[in-house]
Amino acid sequence: MTMKRINIDPITRLEGHGKIDIFLTPDGDVAETYLQIPELRGFERFCVGRVAEDMPNLTSRICGVCPEAHHMAASKALDALFHVDPPPTAKKLREMFYSIFYTTDHTTHFYALGGPDFIMGLDAPPEERNILGVIKKVGMQVAGRVLKMRRDGHNLIEMIGGRKVHPNWGLPGGVSRGINEEQRKEIERLGREAIDFAKFSIQLFNDIVLGNPDYVRLITSEAYTNRTYNMGTVDANNRVNFYDGMIRVVGPDGREHAKYDPKDYRDYIAEHVESWSYLKFPFLKRIGWKGFVDGEDSGLYKATPLSRLNAADGMATPLAQREYERMYEALGGKPINHTLATHWARLIELLYAAERWVELATDHEITGSEYRVLPTATPDEGVGSVEAPRGTLTHHYCTDERGILTRVNLIVGTTNNYAPINLSIKEAARSLIHKGTTVTDGLLNRIEMAFRAYDPCFGCATHYLPGKMPLTVVLRAPNGEVLQTIRREPPRWEAKSDS
Amino acid sequence: MLEVRQISTSQAPRRTDVAPPFTGRTLVLGLGNPLLRDDAVGLHVVRRLRSLLQETPGVEVAEDHRGGLQLMERLIGFDRVVIIDAQRSNRSPGTVRVFSATVVPTEHSASAHDVDLPTALEFGRRSGAALPRLSDIRVVTVEAADVHSFGEECTAAVAASIPLAAGAVLDLLQAWR
Repeated sequence: MTMKRINIDPITRLEGHGKIDIFLTPDGDVAETYLQIPELRGFERFCVGRVAEDMPNLTSRICGVCPEAHHMAASKALDALFHVDPPPTAKKLREMFYSIFYTTDHTTHFYALGGPDFIMGLDAPPEERNILGVIKKVGMQVAGRVLKMRRDGHNLIEMIGGRKVHPNWGLPGGVSRGINEEQRKEIERLGREAIDFAKFSIQLFNDIVLGNPDYVRLITSEAYTNRTYNMGTVDANNRVNFYDGMIRVVGPDGREHAKYDPKDYRDYIAEHVESWSYLKFPFLKRIGWKGFVDGEDSGLYKATPLSRLNAADGMATPLAQREYERMYEALGGKPINHTLATHWARLIELLYAAERWVELATDHEITGSEYRVLPTATPDEGVGSVEAPRGTLTHHYCTDERGILTRVNLIVGTTNNYAPINLSIKEAARSLIHKGTTVTDGLLNRIEMAFRAYDPCFGCATHYLPGKMPLTVVLRAPNGEVLQTIRREPPRWEAKSDS
Repeated sequence: MLEVRQISTSQAPRRTDVAPPFTGRTLVLGLGNPLLRDDAVGLHVVRRLRSLLQETPGVEVAEDHRGGLQLMERLIGFDRVVIIDAQRSNRSPGTVRVFSATVVPTEHSASAHDVDLPTALEFGRRSGAALPRLSDIRVVTVEAADVHSFGEECTAAVAASIPLAAGAVLDLLQAWR
């Protein structure tokens, strides 16, 4: 059958709606699905003409979710741009800072954002799928621990990075300040508590999710499974690293497809354009774009916590490595292609981040006084890359000889996953909607779960009031005729009495 | 109790040069992304108020750009809070409105599924955080025209409403005296 072209309603886009169009076949099965999301315009143009050294501060304001990731990628891009290699103390400080950020961010995702899908169960009503539902189920004392974990993380980020929300720290060649022994002790102490918290979180996941055969069936069900390539940054021993290393890509069968220096990303990644979306779809250049399909012949890749674990040979810290082995053993070996296992992988990364935090806090060089090398070379071009919580983040800058930006290219975490998210939605819809299906709110939830596992961050476009991104699912006949529309409004919160 | 007050843009701006006296810890918090044109209007409003309020005992003027849990954590330790933010509600750009936190879906969120402010506050309260009562949190919004383009200046209608919104904040602070 011929698919009808989708017309984008620009008003819908401007209002910041997430919209899923589901096209049916004449038989009433799912033919195609399209996820459209709002996008910000003109950041690259905004940057051109500014001094490159502003980028760690400018780019950390792109997004309210992971400013620290942009700050790090930008600082590394400046190192490359100015041809300067930061001293060991600077690299270790940056990675320690980044590990603290990761611990905080993954904590939030598990307890407040994506985790409620699991902890509350599949059929829980939407109003219970939030952090309040979670603490009601797992106990009030957990709320205090989550809050403390976040507070410790933010306080340390402020102590090291200079500011709580937007660090003011990264420079070409290093960082603007180091830490003293007293600060180091505090960082170490809180890091050890973070390890305990991560272990506790994994235990919670074990008890609630893995102890329930229904959940395990759900994780491994075809509705939430696709076989794409996986991308992640690895260290010299092919272990997961968030801050630095080579980009490794493995196929759906687990075999290495590529391993490259992040600066060569254009040799491996290309971007596909679809007429129905302003966002581009990155794919593996050497495999090629074959549409929204999985398998070895399709260039789609994922860059998620699960992808990072799939793309590596293991974790660089002992407790996380043990959990890594346990997950692959439980889910049938490498690679794992079940989207919902991303939640589990995220917890293993949480544990790794906390362990790495303590490793670096106890490194004899961490309090060193050489935390910056002054650049002397003429700037021209530089690429910096880190693993953002939501995927590989690449910053690429070109400047004139004065360091004034002439070109900026960013591939942000979620963008890597835009095509796989579309694919996951299509698969969930195909397995859930058949001839004669009535599309209910519960069904919508299950389709939403397919993309929530990615923790997609279309953030910059959804943070004004009313900030919650409404989601609309439109069911269409082959000719485009609207059969049914379900609109999920951001929940209105009813006033409760103050206690 | 529902409180939604719309302030006409034809109304003369209030005086923003007289600081009211206070008791109790009060936070005046501008929210927004400084690089996203009208999204930054809350920041512009608090910048206008900063010098006026800096000598006022117990009042802290601040800027932030995250919502949900982060926003809740920012409110810990205060008795009263005024939040100033951009809004998109199909009204004419520059319209200033005042809400009680009990009715506004205040989710200055950057994730498609972050929690909204009331949920975050409830979570904070249950975990023992010292948070202001809901009735002591007010939200002043300015209707935005463009929150999708990068730029450091607001659109004309929104920029013109900054004094009005600043006046609305001072009115709220006066009412709490």
